[in-house]
Order: sequence, then C-alpha cells, then structure tokens
Amino acid sequence: MRAQLPQRTLLSLALSLLFLSVARTTRRCPSSFPQLLSQLQSQANITGDTGSLLEPYIRLQNLNTPTLRAACAEFPVTFPSEDTLRALSKPRFLSTVQATLGRVLQQLSALAQRFPKTRAFPELEKTRGNVQGIRNNVFCIAQLLNHSLETPKPTQASSGASLSTATTPSIFQTKLDSCRFLWGYHGFMGSVGKVFQEWRDGSNRSRRHSPRRGLLPAWRKGASRIRPSRSSQSPMSRVQAPR
Amino acid sequence: MAFSAVLHPAFLLVVLPLKASLSEVLGEPFQLIPEILTVSIQSKLQQVNLQWTVPNLTHQELKMGFQIEISRMNASNIIWVEDYSTTVKRNQVLHWNWKSEIPLECVTHFIRIRAMVDDANYPPQNSWSNWSSWKEVSVQVSVAPNTLLIFPKSKLLEEGSNVTICLLYGQYLYNVSCMLQKEPIHGEQLDSHVSLIKLNNVVFHSHSGTNIYCQAMNATKTPFGTVLFVSKVLEEPKNFSCETQDFKTLKCSWEPGVDTALTWSQQDSQNYTLYESFSGRSELSDHRNSHNWKITEESQETYNFTLTTENNLRKRSVNIIFNLTHRVHLKAPHDVTLETVDAKKANMTWKMHSRGDNYILLCQVELQHETEVIHECNVSVHMSASYLFSDLEPDTEYKARVRCADANHFWKWSDWAQKAFSTPEAAPSQALDVWRQVRSENGSHVVTLFWKPLLKSQANGKIVSYNIVVENQDRPSEAEHYSVQAPALGTQLSLDMCSYKIHITANNSMGVSPESVMALSNDSGHEEVHEKRIKGTKDGFHISWEPLSGDALGYVVDWCAHSRDQHCDLKWKNLGPNTTSTNITSDAFKPGVRYNFRIFEKSVQQNAQLLEKQTGYTQELAPLENPKVIINNFTSNSFILSWPGYDSDFQSAFIEGYRVYLKSKEMQCHPKGKRTSLSDNSVLCEYEIKDPEQKSFTVENLQPESLYEFLVTPYTSAGQGPNETFTKVTTPDENSHMLLKIILPMTLCVLLIVIACYWKSQWVKEKCYPDIPNPYKSSILSLIKSKKNPHLIMNVKDCIPDVLEVINKVEGPKTQCIVSGKPHNEDVSIKPPSSVPTEDGSSGPVPFMFFENFTYDQSAFDSGSHGLNPGPLKDTPGQLGLLTPPDKLLNVLEKDYMKSLAESPTEETSLIYVSQLASPMCGDKDSLVTNSPKPVHCSGYKRQMAVPGRLPSLALSESNSLTSMILLGQGEQ
Repeated sequence: MRAQLPQRTLLSLALSLLFLSVARTTRRCPSSFPQLLSQLQSQANITGDTGSLLEPYIRLQNLNTPTLRAACAEFPVTFPSEDTLRALSKPRFLSTVQATLGRVLQQLSALAQRFPKTRAFPELEKTRGNVQGIRNNVFCIAQLLNHSLETPKPTQASSGASLSTATTPSIFQTKLDSCRFLWGYHGFMGSVGKVFQEWRDGSNRSRRHSPRRGLLPAWRKGASRIRPSRSSQSPMSRVQAPR
Repeated sequence: MAFSAVLHPAFLLVVLPLKASLSEVLGEPFQLIPEILTVSIQSKLQQVNLQWTVPNLTHQELKMGFQIEISRMNASNIIWVEDYSTTVKRNQVLHWNWKSEIPLECVTHFIRIRAMVDDANYPPQNSWSNWSSWKEVSVQVSVAPNTLLIFPKSKLLEEGSNVTICLLYGQYLYNVSCMLQKEPIHGEQLDSHVSLIKLNNVVFHSHSGTNIYCQAMNATKTPFGTVLFVSKVLEEPKNFSCETQDFKTLKCSWEPGVDTALTWSQQDSQNYTLYESFSGRSELSDHRNSHNWKITEESQETYNFTLTTENNLRKRSVNIIFNLTHRVHLKAPHDVTLETVDAKKANMTWKMHSRGDNYILLCQVELQHETEVIHECNVSVHMSASYLFSDLEPDTEYKARVRCADANHFWKWSDWAQKAFSTPEAAPSQALDVWRQVRSENGSHVVTLFWKPLLKSQANGKIVSYNIVVENQDRPSEAEHYSVQAPALGTQLSLDMCSYKIHITANNSMGVSPESVMALSNDSGHEEVHEKRIKGTKDGFHISWEPLSGDALGYVVDWCAHSRDQHCDLKWKNLGPNTTSTNITSDAFKPGVRYNFRIFEKSVQQNAQLLEKQTGYTQELAPLENPKVIINNFTSNSFILSWPGYDSDFQSAFIEGYRVYLKSKEMQCHPKGKRTSLSDNSVLCEYEIKDPEQKSFTVENLQPESLYEFLVTPYTSAGQGPNETFTKVTTPDENSHMLLKIILPMTLCVLLIVIACYWKSQWVKEKCYPDIPNPYKSSILSLIKSKKNPHLIMNVKDCIPDVLEVINKVEGPKTQCIVSGKPHNEDVSIKPPSSVPTEDGSSGPVPFMFFENFTYDQSAFDSGSHGLNPGPLKDTPGQLGLLTPPDKLLNVLEKDYMKSLAESPTEETSLIYVSQLASPMCGDKDSLVTNSPKPVHCSGYKRQMAVPGRLPSLALSESNSLTSMILLGQGEQ
C-alpha cells in the first residue's frame, strides 16, 4: 500500500497535467472517438479510486476510526446509481455526468475553502483538475456525437450531490457529510467508468459485426434519440458505494 | 393627564432629596437597588452578558460596588458570586459578562445583582441593597427523541486548557458511549437527560481538530459529535531587532515561533503588527518573521518599536527602543581589487557604501590559504581603503576578503567581499635533502641517488627538473652533467672507482635551488661493519652510535624494511654533528617487519662513512612459517631432519632456535627431549635447538617398522611458528636394508645376463642348440675321438640300411599317428601344416626327409636300453615292419632325396625338416608303454620347415596310393 501511494500520486499528477492540458484545449477536441472514449474510461476509473481523495481526506480529518468510517460509508450522499446510469440513453448519460460533475466541482471548491493551507490537502486541488478534465472530455464526446449537453431534470438522486444547507451544521457534521460526499463521488466515477467500458465493448462488437460501418454515425444515430429511459425517470434512485 | 405627567417628575424631584435627607437624618441609608435590564447569551462563547442600571441615582456620579450571583439549574444552587466596582453615572447602563464553563444550552442559569454605595460623597452604607429579582438564563434547545445533542458544537481553545462538554439526550435514548478520537471518555450525569464530560489539559492533535463523538446503543448508527480545535499556545516573538543599511529602510526581523493556524476557518495563522510609538505608526507585517519599515522622518533618530502577534485566543508583544545610528548594518564592500607586487606581496583595495568621508568605518581583512585563515587584521578606513599583504609565499593561491562595520557604534559586520589571487613563482629557496646508496659491481660504483621533494614553501613554484653534476676528484677536468625530469626523486649512476663529488640542484621556471653536495671515496660501498640487533617499540627505534671522529660534519641514518614482499624504500635522516643518538619514527613501521639501519658519519669533505649497522623490529611476532624439512640418512633406528634452504631473515622476528616435535606410540624420548603423553596414548617428544644456525637434527633410538610424526618449527621471542600438520614417516625393517643390499645386485646381474643372452641369442642358439646339428660339433664327436676312430663323421653312404621297404598302398589302414615314427614318407606328408604356403594356395605333395637328431634324444642315445640292440628285432604290430640296413636305406634315401630334389619344380632348396621332440606323445597309447625296450616309433617331432616357395601342396589324404617308409634300426643310427 505504501509502495502504491507514490505511484498513484505520480499517476495522478500526470493525469492532472493531462486534464489541464485538455481543459486548455477545450475548443480543440480530439477527433478520434475511440481515443476519447478510452481516455474518459481511464479517467473515470482513476478518479473512482478512493485513494485519490477520500482516503487522504479521512486521514486528514481524523475520521479513520471504525465508527466514523462506517458513518461515512453507510450514508453516502446520493449520486446516480450505476443501474440508473446504465439505463440512461447515451446523450442523457453524458448530460447527467456533466451536470453531476459540475456540482461536484462546486462542492470541492467549497471544501477547499475550509483548508486555507492547500499544502495540507494537495489531493483536493488535483481532484478538482481531474474533474474539470473529465468534464471537458465529456463535452468533446458529446460534440462528436452532435449532441448538446442539456441540463438534466433534477432527480432525487442527482439532487443529493449537493450538501444540505438548510440548517448550519456543526463542523463535525460537515466533516462527515463531506466524507459521505466524497464516498459517493468515488462510487459515481466508478460507475461512470463502467458505463464507458460498456460503450467501448459495444463499439468493439459493433465494429466486429459491421466492419464497414463507421462508428461515429452509429453514435450519432443513438444521439438523435435522446430520451430518458424508464429507470432514469423513476423517482427512486439507488444508492451505491464505491468499490 | 398632561398636568399629572408634568407634576409627577416634579414631585419626585422634590420628594427624593427629601427622602435622602430624611434617611440621613434617620440614620438609615437609602438603598440603591440595581435593576437588570437584559441578560443575553453568547452561545458560542458560552458567555452571559448582563446589563443593568441604577435607578434613583441622586448623584451625578457615584462610586458603587455590585455583587452578582449566578445559580445553576435552580436559584438556590449558587455557583458564582462576583463583586464588581465601578463609578456609576446617572442613567448609565452597566455591563458585566460571565463565561460559563458549561455550555449554556445544557443547563439553565439564574442571575441576580445587588449594590452598595462606596463613595465619600455619600453616606457610608454598612449593607448591600436588596437583591434584584432572579433572571433566568437559558438557551432553548429541543432534543428530538432518539437523538443526542453535544455542546459546544465546536470549540476553539488553547493547548493545556480545560473544557466541559455536555450531552443532551433525547427520549428513549440510553447507554451512550463517547470517544475522543479513538479513546473512550466518560462523563458525569447532571440529570436524567444531561451529562457532562470534563476534559482537562487538552493537547494539540491536528490542525483539523480533535473529534469527539458519541453513539447510543439503541439509536441510529449515525454518531453525534463535536470538534475541539486545540490551538498551540501562541509564542512570543524572539530576537526581535531592527537595522538599516541605507538609512532609508529599517529591516525588522524576529523568530515567529509555531504557527497556530487551524482549519475549518477556526483560526488563521497569527498576525504580526509593528507599532512605533514616536511616530504613532502601525503596520501589519506581510511576513511571519520580518518587516521592512520605511524611514519617513529623516530627523528621527530614536525608534520605539512594539511587535505584537495575535491569534483568536491570545496576544503577545515585545518591545525594543534604539538609536538609528546604532543599528547600521553596512552593505558588503565593493570594487575589491588585488594586485601582486612581487612573489611575496599583494595589495588589496576596496570601497564602501558610506554616508560620507567623515564617517569612520572599521574593516576586518582576512587572508586565507586552503580555507585556513593565515592572516587577520582590523583597519580603520573611510569610503575607500587598501591593505598590503606581505610575507606571502610564491606560487600560492590565496583568498583575501574584507568586511566592515560602523567604527563608532558597532552593530554588525557587513557581509564579506572576497577576491582570490595567486602569487608568482620564485627560484627554489632550499637545497635538496639528498642521499645515496653505493654498491660495487664489476669493478665500478653503482650509485643510486635519492632526494626528497622540496616543500611547497621551499620549491616556490613547480619544480621542472633536477640537475646532477658529477665531478671526478681524481681528474678534476672531467665533470658530467645529468638532468632528471620531475617528479623523479632519484637516479642511478655508474661510476668508476675514482673519488667523486656530486652536486644536485632543483630547477623551476624562475631559477635554481642551492646545491646539495655529496662525496664518494674510492672505498665507498666496501665498508664492512658488524650488524647489531636493536629492539624497537611501537613508536619506532632508538638508534645510538659511537662517533668515529671528532670533526664529523653530521650523521645520516638510513633504513629500509627487510621484507620479502616489500621493495626497499630507502629512508634517511640527517643529523647534526654532535648527535650520537636519534629516535626514528614512522607511520610506515609495521610489526613483524625487520628494519635495517645504517649510520653514516659525514666528513667535512661531504664523504659519508659507514659507522654501524643495526637491525630490529618494532614488534617481534611469532614466525609465520615453518621450514621445509628434508629427511636424510633414513634407517630403521634413526633419521636426520634438515632444513638447509630456510631463509630466516624474512621471518617476523629474530629466530632464537627451533623446536622439533616427534610423535609416536610407545616411544622413549631421548634424554635431551621433553616427553609429553597425548590423549591417544601417543608420546610427544620435544627437542629444542637453541642455536638458530643449526639447521639439522638427528632423530635416534627409533623402532624399526614404526610410524613417527615430526614437526620442526622455529621460535622467536614472541612465540613459535604455526602448528602445522606433522609429517609422517615409517621406519624400515631392520633386515630390509641387508636384503636390499643383496637382492638388488643379484637382480641386476640376472637382468644383465638375460639381456646379454637375448642380445647373443643367435650365437647361443648356434652354439647350444642349432636347428641342424653340425655333426662336426656334435658331442658324439668326442666319443668318437676317444675311440680314436678315423671316421670322424659317419658318412651316410657308409650306412647300409638293413631294410628298405617301399609300400605302395591304395587303401591302407587308417594311420593312427599323423606324424609318427612310421617310416612312410607319404604318411608323414599327410599332415603338413595346412598353413604351408604355396603359390597357388593349394596343398600339394611335398618331399620329406627324415633325420634322426641325436641332439634331441641324447638320453636315448646314451641309454643302454635304447642303445644298440644286438638281438633280433621282432616285428610288432603297429611297429616297424622290417628293418632295412642302414646303407640301403641311405641309398634309397639318397636316391629318393635326389629324386625329390629333381622333382622339385624349382631349384630352391627349401625343405621341411621334421625334428624329433622329446617324448612320444601321440599315436596308439597302448603301443607306447607295452614294451619299453622296443623302439619308440611313435615320437613327436618338432617340425622345422624350410618351405620352397613354389612347391606344390601335398595331397593330404589317407588314400595316398604310394607310401614310402624309411625305417632306421635303433642300433644302426
């Protein structure tokens, strides 16, 4: 585990630089859809790893006790579940990811304000860069699909991606809520990675079965039928935990 | 209504002074009872704020004392009483606050106040006024069933302080356990739904705060908790000081101490503020440990600074006051130059940032060589200055540096300004320390010259070469010049046996060193002196000698290690004329290595004469190896051990002798030896040879055919040689040497005879047993001679055979003996060796001639029974059919022989001879022994053949039609 950390840190650093470069070149999206998809899947898998943010947060906030860990994991802030995401049409899925990550960015910014010394929690800044990079890539993939990213209707699941601000919670409560939020975030990114993987698998199959047919038109065809699936319209959403 | 409103204050104004004066008159002071206006709570600070006023205050200003009581839970449970004195003005609202150690959300408090006038202008009062009514202080908190509230929600406190945490239980909640990080903590129950946890002397845990959380067994698993933000104690800034370099800015610096920042916006890092009292200016520092203060008022000389650091919990200050001119930290000197005047002098110049030429500065000048300060001095200068370095060494790198400070009010040295420089070379200043080693070789002197490298301070530059001038003293006109390139430290010269004077100098680019002179006499290298042994110590050797003459110029002691694996690296030491001893020390001296010292006396003519030789060890060690022993004169009773080639000079100490160990079973030691019995019943005899020059030892009184083991080891003052494996020998048998003396020559003789026989085998064969006996040489000849027979040799022609039978038989009886005595020519030829070679490979008939060979049947010849039988011969079956007279037989034979020769297709005389062998071996056995006197007709024959190369093979068959038989009568041979 100790040996993995520096590698992970280096990888995270490299990715964050990659994402930043992607963010800077937002207007010039890559034209290769498989490459973009592969990149997105890799980004999602890496950001789905709790070691990239949650674990440092737990250590920093002294939440590394069985009781507090359980409290963090058992009641995570609700994000769209994997089933929900899988059931979404592809354009809707991209819109959901884009919107959810937008809210994640807000929460991460709010969390960053709690830590005036960024040196004490450098993973937070890296994560913000990573999320921004994913959003840029989602934007690009939607552009390739000729799909404009529309803000999805808030569902019960997606509304959970923001912290409750109804009453001023105690710092202890905020610590736990942030922990739950990060737990949910990692789970969400893991689910997104899986969906992207399925996209890749599907595209490979598609290419195998109809080699002469271009991939992009197929996606465009799918994009033209943007309809929320039944499950996405369901008021009940499932809660998922990161693996 | 309006009238009454106007009338009432007027009435009061009249009545109250009357009441006061009435009270004074009556001796009962008028009570000023305070009236509580508001009681507010600052929940986060756990603070109660009380506001009150003193109604009916007659005086404009009155000094009063107040007493405030606070009760907890119920009014009677007073937990706090505090007196508070102040000057009260009329209609003034007074403030007082109190901090509760328990969060105010957890328990209800009550507060009341009373007053007493303590003013000289007021009649003295002996008692407090009446209490105001109790005011309840509480924060309305509702706890839902099955939930738990913990107060304070978060708390900022300093390390080492105490804190009380309270828990409010909702309905149906029980069995609550709390943890501080990972440690369980326990509280005390205040009432049924409130408990308190007191934490004393809290410690800093992390910048993110210390988590305290509780969980009830029957409630949800969500923990309820609070965070204690424990700040480190704010430290006072240390080493606060201000200084200026340019009289425009004051740079103030300090050591800030620990950062007390906490996350979750609880506390930022402490800030630092500078306040200057004379100017009244205050500036917040942008840095934690320094601040640049601009000097705005040029006329201001004195500054009084207060540095204050502050965080949410504490404030600390330090103060300094100083005169600006006393806090001048000059900038480093600039425009530093260095100019070498000559090889030993250099001049340094520099300039200073100064306020004017009248301003006196103190400068410190340093000269460094190889990071070591070799010269240091202080000089008073103005804006520009110079300094001359003298006594420098030629061809040397130096580093000069300078720093300055205010000479009048020393505060701090400026930073160093430095410059590196090198002095030029100069001619070498010192003569070489030279020495020589002389040995005679083939009628000439081989002189090896050595010199030590000049020190850097003596060389004054890079030595390029060494010049050697050899001056023949016997022939002064001849001088030879040699040049040896550096870095060589020696050379070898071959000189004849004349006297020489050798001059050696060292050269660098600037010149030549003073010369060193050595003289060689005719007999240099031939000195023979006794070698003395000396004992060294671990520090070295003490060498002493007897001077040879009184006018010695000095002495030289040279030495080198006498080691097998070490080249003799000659060292020497020059000593003064009045010296007769010296200590030779060297880090190169090693224990167990012999060092040979020679002491020379130098004459006025620079000639060195060998005085003494001394040899020794700094530390003697046990020998490292044993000699290789050879066994000589090995007998059954003794043998001699010798080790002739053993070089004891290279041993690790002086060999004092040898020990011979002899080991055997049941051995008697020689009386000179020491006997030791070993565990395996063997005996070890130790013989000591005290003469190191004796290198043999005779082992005597040994038993023959016994095993002995021996070991020879040298011993020194430090011990004996290594315990190596004993060499095993077995003594021979006592007679074995005798046997050896006999057997060996005998064997040699026999061997010689055999070789000679073999060598002369042909001759012997001819002499002793020729293939065809020479009748002239036959032994029978002697018999004949003895009978004086004129016929020396029996002529075949003279022999008349008795019987000559020619048998022509188509089918005869089967021959029992293939090569038998049957006198049938064909029969004999029946069994030729199939291998008889023929040209065509076939076997053909071969003519045979049979001879009686007496050589092979001498016994028969000599025997009477086999001799001439005078009686008539009987024809016996299977034996001779008839006896033919010898002459006739011979005729036939001759005729037949001749015929055979004539019939031979070639003219070759190759014949097959069949010679008689020893005894009858084949044929009818019955006929062999039945009648011994009968002639033995069945005899084996040794077939001797001379086969004509082209003879046709004989037809070998039993059915030969013609069989010729020649029978010789026994008596007529």
